[in-house]
This record gives sequence, structure tokens and C-alpha cells, in this order.
Amino acid sequence: MIGLEHYLTVAATLFVIGIFGLFVNRKNVIILLMSIELMLLAVNINLVAFSSFLGDLVGQVFTLFVLTVAAAEAAIGLAILVCFFRTRGTIAVEDVNVMKG
Amino acid sequence: MIQADLNIIMPEIILSLFAIGALLGAVYTSKDKMGPMLVWATAGVFLALALWIGVNGQGTNPAFGGMFVDDAFSRFAKVAILLSSAAVLVMSQEYMQRKGLLRFEYPVLVALSVVGMMVMVSAGDLMTLYMGLELQSLALYVVASLRRDSARSTEAGLKYFVLGALSSGLLLYGASLTYGFAGTTLFSGIIQTATEGHTSIGLLFGLVFIIAGLAFKVSAVPFHMWTPDVYEGSPTPVTAFFATAPKIAAMALFARVLHDAFGSAVSDWSQIIALLSVVSMFLGAFAAIGQTNIKRLMAFSSIAHMGYALMGLAAGTVLGVQAMLVYMAIYVTMNIGTFAFILSMQKDGQAVTDIGSLNQYAKREPGKALAMLILLFSMAGVPPMVGFFGKFYVLRAAYDAGLAWLAIAGVIASVIGAYYYLRIVFYMYFGEVPDETLDKSHSPVLWGFLMASAAIMVLGLVNLFGIEGAAAAAAATLVN
Amino acid sequence: METLILFAPLVGALIGGFGWRLTGERAAMWITTGLLFVACAFSWIVFLTHDGVTEKIQLLRWIESGSLSTDWAIRMDRLTAIMLIVITTVSALVHLYSFGYMADDPQWKEGESYKPRFFAYLSFFTFAMLMLVTSDNLVQMFFGWEGVGVASYLLIGFYYRKPTANAAAIKAFVVNRVGDFGFALGIFGLYYLTDSVKFDDIFAAAPALAETTVHFLWADWNAANLIAVLLFIGAMGKSAQLFLHTWLPDAMEGPTPVSALIHAATMVTAGVFLVCRMSPLMEYAPEATAFITILGATTAFVAATIGLVQNDIKRVIAYSTMSQLGYMFVAAGVGAYSVAMFHLFTHAFFKAMLFLGAGSVIHAMHHEQDMRNYGGLRKKIPYTFAAMLIGTLAITGVGIPLTGWIGFAGFASKDAVIESAFAADPMGYAFWMLVIAALFTSFYSWRLMFLTFFGKPRGDKHTHEHAHESPMVMLVPLGVLAVGSIFAGAIWYSSFFGKTNEIASFFGVPYAEASEHGEAKDDHGEAKDDHAAPKDDKKKKTSYAFTGKPGEGAIYTGKDNHVIHDAHYVPTWVKLSPFIAMVIGFLMAMCFYIWDPKMPKRTMEHNRPLYNFLLNKWYFDELYDAIFVKPASMIGRFFWKRGDGDVIDGTLNGVAMGIVPFFTRLAGRAQSGYIFTYAFAMVIGILVLVTWMTFSGGAQ
Repeated sequence: MIGLEHYLTVAATLFVIGIFGLFVNRKNVIILLMSIELMLLAVNINLVAFSSFLGDLVGQVFTLFVLTVAAAEAAIGLAILVCFFRTRGTIAVEDVNVMKG
Repeated sequence: MIQADLNIIMPEIILSLFAIGALLGAVYTSKDKMGPMLVWATAGVFLALALWIGVNGQGTNPAFGGMFVDDAFSRFAKVAILLSSAAVLVMSQEYMQRKGLLRFEYPVLVALSVVGMMVMVSAGDLMTLYMGLELQSLALYVVASLRRDSARSTEAGLKYFVLGALSSGLLLYGASLTYGFAGTTLFSGIIQTATEGHTSIGLLFGLVFIIAGLAFKVSAVPFHMWTPDVYEGSPTPVTAFFATAPKIAAMALFARVLHDAFGSAVSDWSQIIALLSVVSMFLGAFAAIGQTNIKRLMAFSSIAHMGYALMGLAAGTVLGVQAMLVYMAIYVTMNIGTFAFILSMQKDGQAVTDIGSLNQYAKREPGKALAMLILLFSMAGVPPMVGFFGKFYVLRAAYDAGLAWLAIAGVIASVIGAYYYLRIVFYMYFGEVPDETLDKSHSPVLWGFLMASAAIMVLGLVNLFGIEGAAAAAAATLVN
Repeated sequence: METLILFAPLVGALIGGFGWRLTGERAAMWITTGLLFVACAFSWIVFLTHDGVTEKIQLLRWIESGSLSTDWAIRMDRLTAIMLIVITTVSALVHLYSFGYMADDPQWKEGESYKPRFFAYLSFFTFAMLMLVTSDNLVQMFFGWEGVGVASYLLIGFYYRKPTANAAAIKAFVVNRVGDFGFALGIFGLYYLTDSVKFDDIFAAAPALAETTVHFLWADWNAANLIAVLLFIGAMGKSAQLFLHTWLPDAMEGPTPVSALIHAATMVTAGVFLVCRMSPLMEYAPEATAFITILGATTAFVAATIGLVQNDIKRVIAYSTMSQLGYMFVAAGVGAYSVAMFHLFTHAFFKAMLFLGAGSVIHAMHHEQDMRNYGGLRKKIPYTFAAMLIGTLAITGVGIPLTGWIGFAGFASKDAVIESAFAADPMGYAFWMLVIAALFTSFYSWRLMFLTFFGKPRGDKHTHEHAHESPMVMLVPLGVLAVGSIFAGAIWYSSFFGKTNEIASFFGVPYAEASEHGEAKDDHGEAKDDHAAPKDDKKKKTSYAFTGKPGEGAIYTGKDNHVIHDAHYVPTWVKLSPFIAMVIGFLMAMCFYIWDPKMPKRTMEHNRPLYNFLLNKWYFDELYDAIFVKPASMIGRFFWKRGDGDVIDGTLNGVAMGIVPFFTRLAGRAQSGYIFTYAFAMVIGILVLVTWMTFSGGAQ
């Protein structure tokens, strides 16, 4: 029997993978966007699992909102990335380093 | 019922419709030529809404089953947000036009982010919170990289976006945990579950993640790393905007979540907020000392200021929230004046942000140098200025709440922090003769904002323009 | 009118100090001087028309805090009136005199403006002094007290380019602080005990104080005695009494008009005034007054001995001042307050004149102050000589013996003091000290005259050839003061030292035909020579005694205090003794400096240790230097080098130069610019927060 805790474990694992993807990856900004998506989807699993466990629809409504926002976020992220690429000619994470100190 | 609910969120609806209308209108007509007109129109709408909310608002009105709350607290925050946004818009018009940045998207995006902020401060539910926050953030990501042909501006946007997304991920994860362990996303429901001493560990985890997400928005250490880079890279008017309205909104949201949703578990989060507060104050003070770029310096300055505002929040009392609101109002006023000055810094038509260029500034423009001196003194918290009373308020709130160590740390940090403010004063009055001097600026708008802000810092010490009363009323509706 | 007197000098000081750039130098000087003369004229009107009844003029409410309530008010009684004329007269004349004396000062270069500043200080001093004497409560008095201290500091250090002047100014200020500490403690004590600083309340409470005991410095004291001693310590500082006197001779570094005004006529007498003003309290503090008497007598003696051998003309007069102040304190100490005021009054005239005369000599001799370089000046500067002669006759107390009042000013008042001292304690310490001091006074005064004006010119020939009489503005004040020096004693003799009823009506003190006369007579009988008592009864059909409660009238004399009355009936030889002492002193001076000019040298060589002892002022300065100054500066240096330099500066510099930049660099390095560092910081942050929450909040 798959219980709530299993779902939560999976979600937590995915979330941590997403976080790790953000700061372990140093190659490509696209991977950063993917990691962010992973985190948001992990949250979605959480929400749906709780929703089902609690028998409460709010969690699923929340999930829909999150999905929508995630889409918008991805769009904006990609747009910014395109601008960045145009000015710098690279999307390597290590090159996003003009300003520091 | 739905009619009543709509009435309550009428300001937000109007502003959204205005933004969409402006967007459509601009797209289908003359494109960027609409820019200046739209800036003034948007500022006008902000002002009108601020007046409306400020004058018309009465009592506490929940809408949509408590997901949206219109009360004295949210009205205080909204008026502050709208007024500061209007001020920043008006200030930025000339600068943006000179740089060829005044696209019609700019006012529209600002308007949308303001809608997001207004939703944030009125949030009565985790979903409202998230939606408001994202609406605000998404608009801000774009504004940060408004200067598409600049490496710095796009980098600022990219950094802000990635880290912002990470923070919303954290917040969202916290929200999902809270939902799971409280069984509801409504603040009024959460507060019944999260009572003192009986808060489940899952709920506390949720709280910590939400705090982390919000701490990013107020740029509290260690979630502050984006701030200096984004402040530096963004066009200066955008930096000015970042430093003002979103800070109020995030701080207000912070207060609302902590008190409305977790108000009965004060002792659980008070320590965490105090920790954030103290590291923010000290890091802001230390890091600013090494800066030569005035925009980066202002970034660390705002980190330190957020530390003080969080100190009020850490108190977890009515006085604490009141002190935080007063502090934020003063902070925003000071920042508007300072950014008006920074916006006027230019040489041969190019914007300058190097502090060294201010050498001997007082010789050339004594009036503006004096105004800047007053503002810097006020930010450093030198007694006769209003900024001192803001600090005094939060310190007293922290002390009354039994956080004497925090208050003492705040005093020490403010002493260290005074150094870099006074260093600018030193440059302006006693610096060595510079090779090149800044142009004389002839913008009456910027001059007016600078002078008005400085004047407020001096005149306000009479009674802080009565802001205490409004803040007290706002704080009283939030904390019970 | 009193208000006008009080504020005219202040207005003058403000104009002289701040407005002279607008009005010009000369105009500012004339305005300050003119205002002082106006004040002086009004003061005389007030003095002559004053009926002795105490009145109060409230100027403003000053301090209201809890039960401490202090008005800014003028207390107008006879004491105030006397001080008013003394201050304004001398001050006005000194202002006038300064026109000449300060005309071209070698301390300043051509074109430098110093005169308006000088006049402003003088006027400010006058204001502060008036403030002191007109005050209605101790706090206001303290304000004036410190005001004159500041003015004195500024004026002593007026020649601020001279290191010695600066040192003298600091010394005066510091020594006075010691006294002021006592004074302040006295005020605190009075406020603590009576819950008021107003004179009226304090005087009314005086009898009760005499029966109160307070604990202070590990011992129990009688309250009245303790307070009286504390207040007297303040007076000691201001009036240069022994142990706190070292500043006064050094204060002669200031310009001579300043010496005349502050260090002869007015400020130094503030202590005497204080004791007289507090007479209701003093009357209930027998031990304290005994202390005052003994200290006053000792000061008179010691100062006179030092004065014998000094060579600087101004220092001689300074020690003479100190000695005369000792006389006043003796009079006040034995309870003859009116006599103390009498001597204060006459002394102001002749001592101011001596100083101004000395100033005139110095002026003539191009700022040469050593008497050994004078000699034979009486032909060159005849008017100054005449004035100095009158002054000397006055201070030595020349007059017709046994008449009591026919003579120069000093004759009447000094004899009164000595007789009072005898009446209080026949054949006592104070009496003999004063008589010996009178002898010395006569000797050094005539020595000064002989060295300066007689004999052959000594010293720089050139200077002697160019010696010239001073201008009219300097001679006129001398003339006016000379009139005072001659007649002041004779005219007001009966008011200050007449019959009890005359004194009482002059000072506005209630008196009555002594109903307890018989009882009083019995007291005399024990206290005096037997043959004097019956004479008293035969001569005087009616006798009067002071009545009235403390605080009624300007001075208060206790029921058992008959000193003044008794002083008139001392034996004849006592009355003659000061005169005899004066004659002996004069003859000795003649002997030493006219008949046998070699004699001083011989005497000096035979008594070298004594001579050095006196020349070095009893080694007070050296003693204080060893006991207080050296250890204090050692402690100071220790704290400065070790405490301030190493500990505080070291810590602050360490923090400012080491720790802060370290953290700044650290913060800068953390801000690497890489997204992954930023993200990592956030993750670390949330881990810390979660851990913290788990261990602190969530643990419950």
C-alpha cells in the first residue's frame, strides 16, 4: 500500500534534486530552468498527495495555479535567457559573473 | 455576495484593467511614443488609488471567504506602495527617456507588479499569497533586464530570476507542508492549528520554508545575495523601484503571514526572525564599507535597513509591527530622496555611480549636498533626523519584547554602518579635488524629490507627520 | 532701577563682545564704559536712598523641578546695596582707566583688535558679579559665582600668548574648582536639609539646622557647622584664604586693571560677602565661625610675611590683598559682619587705587614690574605718587588714634576689625596675629613706596629717562578713588561700626532697647576688663540690642552676640595697638630703605633661610606641586598612555582597522557573482534555520 509518506518522500527527493541542480550545475543556464521546474513539480506532488490524503480539493486547485505560474515563469526565464545570450554570446552559468563583490 | 467581494478588490481590478488596457492600447497604436504619457498616466492612477484607499477604507473586510482581506494594515501598506511607486515612476521618466529605455512596457510592468504587491499585502490565504508574490516577481524579473542590450542588466535579470524562482520554490514547498499539516491554506485556519507549544514539526518546517521564501523578497541575509548584483545591473530607476515598493510589500506580507497565520506561535518564529535581523544588520554594515559603487552601496544599505525592520517584526508585538511600519515608511522616504540624487548623478550625459565622483560636491552644489547630507545622516540614524526615530522605535520594540541583546546588536551595527554613510558626506565636503566633475543637473523633478525628502527628514521630527497613529491602527488590526 | 543696574553691563558685554565689528572699536569701548557709568550712578542712588528694608524683584522663574524651585530674582538689602556701589564704582573707573592702560599693548601686533574683547570681558565680569551679589537664592548665586570664575579665567589669561599667563589662568580656575566643590556641596546639603535653596527659607530653618545632625564622610556632624564650613570652603577658594590662596599672586599675570577690579576690589571679596550673607546660618555654627576666625587671622599673618620680601610690585599688593581679606574674615568670623563689610567697603577703594597706581607706575616704566628697577620716581610721576601715597596712608591705617573715625579709610575699618577681634577673644590668637600683620602691612607698604618713589633710579637708565606721567583717563579714576580712600571710612563709620541702633537701622535689622540689658551687662562683665563695664553704664544711658529672627534685615546677629557693642569698650592700649604697630612698621621701613639702604641686604644675608622661606611663599607652591600636581599628572599620564593609548585606542583601532575590514573583505568574497554560490548560500541559510527551529522552537 502506497501511503502519504511515500509521496512526500518522493516529492522531497525531487525537491532536493532540484535544489542541487541549481548549485551543483555550473555548465548551462537551461539546466537551471529545468531544476526550477523540478522543484515546482515536486511541490505539486506534495500538494496533490495532501489533497488526496485530506480529502480536500484546495490542494489540487493550488496545483493548477502553480502549474500556470510555472509556465509563465519558464516563459519569462527563457526570454531573459535569450536576451542574455544576445549580449554575451554564452549561456554558461560560470559566465554569469560580470557583477560581484 | 460576489458583488461585495468584487467591491472590496475594486482597486486591484481597476489597476489590472488599466494595465491591460494600456498594454493593448500601446501595442496597437504608437508603441514606444506612448511611454512618457503612460508613465504619467500610471503615476496618476497610482495616486488616485492611493487617495481612494487611504480616504475611503473602513474597517476589516474579508473577501472570497477570507482569501483576500482588506483591513487597516493592508491599506497602510497599499498607500505606501502606491505612493512610492508613483514617486519612482515620475522620477524615472526623464532618465529612462534619455537612455532610450522608456518603452511602454515599463509603466505597464510596474503597474502589474504593483497589482501583485497589493494582492500580497491583502493575502488571507496561501494561494493568494503565492499568486500575488509571483505576479509581482515575474514583472520585476522583466523590469530588471529592461535594458536588453546591456550585459549587466540582462545578467541582473537572469540572476534575479533564477534565485527568485528558487525562493518561490522554497516558499511553495513550505506552503505545501503547511497545507498538509494544517489541512487548510486559509490563514484563519492555520492559526487555529498552529498554537503555541502544540505546533506540529511539519507545520514548523513549513513555516521555516515560507520564512526563507519571504526573507528572499525582503533581501534578508543569507537570502540577500541577489540584491547587490540586481541593484547594480538594473537601470537606476528600476533599482529605485526595487528599493522601495517591493520592500514594503514583502515586509507587510511577512508581518501578515507571521501574525495572521502563525500569530499564536510567536515564540517559535521570533528567534528565527531575530537571527535574520541581526545577521542582516551586520552584513549590510560590513559589506557596504567596501563598496565604491553607490548603487551597490545602497543595496547593502537596504539589507541593513531590512535587518532593522525585521527587528520590529521579531518583537512579535503590536508595538513591533507598528515600529516596523513606521520604519518602512521612513526608509522608503529616505530612499526616494537618495535615488533622486543618484539619478541626477551624471557626467557628459552618462550616468555615474562611482562614489569617488562625489568628491568636493558640496563646493559645486551646496544645496543638493546639504540635502544629501541630511538624508545620509538620517539613514545612519543620527539623532535629530527622522531616521533616528525609526531606529529608536524598532529598538524600543525589541527591548520591550525582551530582546535586549538584539537591540544592543542593532546599536553596534548602526555605529559600524554610520561609517559608510558618513564616508560619502566626507567625500562631498572634504574630499580631494576630483579630476572630472559631475554635470550640473537641471531636472526640477529630481531636485524636488530630493529636497522634499530631505525636508521631511528634518521636519518630520515634530510628529513624524502623524504616521505613528496610522501605523498603530494598522498594527492593532493585525496582531490580536 | 536695580534691573537696569544688573543688565547694563550685560548689554555692554554683548555689544563689546559681538557687536564691535558693527559699531567699531572705539564706539564699543565707549558704550561699555558709558553703560557702566550709568549703572554706577544708579547704584549710588539706590545705595543712598535705600532704607534698609529687604525687597525682592523677581525677574523670571528659572528652574522648577520637583521641590526645587528657583527664581531669578534680585534681593535688595543693605548688603546688596553696599556691594552694588563697590562693584559698579570700581568697575566703571577701571573701564575708564583701561582706555589709557590698554591703549597700546606690546603683547599685540599692530592692527590686531583686542580692546573690545577686553572691555567685553570686564563688563561680563561685572554682570556676573552683580548677579552674585543680587541673588535671592543659592543657585543663582552659584551661577554668578561661576560666572565671575569664568571671567577671571578669561582675564587672567588675557595675554594668551604668554605661557605664564595661561598657566596662571588655569591655576586660578582649578584652585577655585576645589573651593567651588565645597560650595556646591554646601548648597546640596542645604537643599537636602531644608528642601529649598531660597535664602528666606534657609534663614528661617537656620535655628533648626543647629539642632540637626547629619552623617557625612564617616562621621556625624552638626548640620549648621558642616554647612557653614562647606560654604566657607567655597569662600576660601574665591577669597584666596590660606591653602587655596596660591592662585591669587599668579593671577597678577593678567592686565593690571583686571587685578584692580577682580583681584582686589570685587571678586575676591565674594567670599566675605558669602559669609556675611549667610550670617543667620553662621550665627548658629560656633565651631565653623571659630574656624573662619583662625584661618582668617593666619592668612592675614602669612600673607603679610610673604609680602615683606616680594620684589614684583603687583605681587606685593596681591599679598597685601590676601592679608586684608584675612582681616575681613576675622571680623566675619567673630560675628561682626558689619565690620567685615566695612573693611570690604573701604578696602575696595584703597586697594583698587593701589593697583591702579601700580598700573600707572608700570605703564610709566614700560611694563617693568620689578621694584628693584624703580627708584626716585616721585618727580617723574607726581600725580601717581600722590595717589599711591594716599593709598598707602589708607592701607596702613593712618588717623588720629582714639577718635576712632578721624583718619584715612583703612584706619577706621582696620581698627574696627582689630577691636572686634579683641572683644570676641581678649588677648586671643586672632587679635595678636592681626596686630602683627598690621605692623608688617605698614612695613611692606612703605617699602613699596620707598623702593618705587624714593632713592636713586635703578635699573635700565633708558626706561627711567622715558618715564612719563599717565594720561588723564588713568589719573581721573585714581583721583576719584583717592577721595574714597580718604573719606569712605570717616563718613560711614557710624553706619558700619557705630552704636548698635545705628548699625541696625543701616542694615535694616530690627532692634530694641535692650530689655535684657542687665543680663547682657552680666555677660560683658565676664568678658571684659572690670573697669570698662561701669564706664559703659555711666556713659550710655540706653543700650540697644539686635532683635528679630534670622533673615530679617541684611545681616543677623545672634542674641548672645555683643561683639560690636563690646568692641567699643576695649582697653585703650588695644585701641592704640594697630596705630603703634603701624608707626613701628613705618619707622622700620624708613630705617631699611631710606636711612641705611645697605641694611636690607645685610639682614637678608644674616637670615637667609628665613628670607628664602618668605620669598618662596612658605613653599606652598612647591608643596602642592609635590602632593597634588605631580601625582595627578603621573596618574593622568598613566591613563593617557596606557589606558587611553593602548587599551582604548588599541581596541578601537583594532576593531576599526582590523576586524571591520576583515569582515568587509569576507562579505565581498562571499559575493562571488556566481549564481551557484548565491543559491548555495540560500540553501545553507534554510538548513541553518531548519536546524535552529528543530532544536529551539520545535523541540517542545
